[in-house]
Amino acid sequence: MRNWLGPLLFGLLVAAAATWAAIGAIPYGLMKIASDRLGQSGVNTMSHGNLANPDRQPVVRPSPDLAYSSCPYDLSAGPLAIDVMPVPGRYSSLSVFDAATDVIFVRNDVEAAGKPFRIILAREGQAVPAGVEVVRTNHDRGIALIRLLLKDPKEIGGLDAMRRQSSCATVTKLK
Amino acid sequence: MKSWHRYAIALVGGLTVGLGAAWAFTNGGLSNGAIANGPWTTSLGFGTKATDPVTRALVARAGLLALPAKETVYWSATTDAAGAPLDGKCRYRLSGKPLDARWWSVTIYDAKGYLVANPADIWSVNGANVALDAKGEWGVTIAPTKPADGAWLPGTRDQPFHLTLRMYNPGTAFRADPAKAVLPQIVKEGC
Repeated sequence: MRNWLGPLLFGLLVAAAATWAAIGAIPYGLMKIASDRLGQSGVNTMSHGNLANPDRQPVVRPSPDLAYSSCPYDLSAGPLAIDVMPVPGRYSSLSVFDAATDVIFVRNDVEAAGKPFRIILAREGQAVPAGVEVVRTNHDRGIALIRLLLKDPKEIGGLDAMRRQSSCATVTKLK
Repeated sequence: MKSWHRYAIALVGGLTVGLGAAWAFTNGGLSNGAIANGPWTTSLGFGTKATDPVTRALVARAGLLALPAKETVYWSATTDAAGAPLDGKCRYRLSGKPLDARWWSVTIYDAKGYLVANPADIWSVNGANVALDAKGEWGVTIAPTKPADGAWLPGTRDQPFHLTLRMYNPGTAFRADPAKAVLPQIVKEGC
């Protein structure tokens, strides 16, 4: 039995380390899965998803009252420009999440005074165009998400064209 | 048995226990919140950088891409007002006054947090589609079959369910003391 004392202590240490490492890795892993599911149009492109229903639930606890537009991003090739077009009289918001699932930016339609706005998402040190609002992050990857409230799911037909004016794209010109 | 065999067994056992523990520690769902109000629970730390690694993993599993509390407060209920687990076979009265928020909704999910098919294609009630009575209160029936009168939020039939209450842009009075806010009642009427 004494032969097992060392392996037992070793196993406990491995268990503790694995627990800690896995808890730290879960957000990154789930974010990667969500990016893959939400980004039907690819990375650094805004996908305007259909409303959530039992057959379409890309993330856990989707709200059936919201139209989600999502932009899974990767800043390794350069900063990302996100353009948001609010819909008058409706709750809408842009939220930007990093690869660790932390929220790094939120702005709703009231805070934007109901007007269109643009932000540039960039890594620390990345060159950005002059005179623009910049949000800095220390992760390459993440998801930018636009929520648009519907009073009734049928409203999506009339609001779809407007929400499709919101977009995201890698910044290629600095001037 | 050679010594390295014992260490190899310990390595595999340790990894298995460790990964299982990580999954178990982060399995509490949104109901593992720090604030309770009747059957509803929430944590105002969701979606911020201040959250600890366990909370961050909990939210990633139960409410990925959740907004911070200033933007949205997410309440979760897994039991009725009497403390009994919410059962898809039973009939409940969900009722209350309009909530102190720019917009609110209550959505029904299965125990894992996913929408369940129902013949009406309705999974939520919200401040824009509930009718107020003479007392200024709203109410819906959660049940597997449509009630004879009144608004219906279809139940999950043969499985337990969870409710998520979202309050978008909650008012300052609410945010000052969420634990004392008046939230919707969930009362079982029968099974």
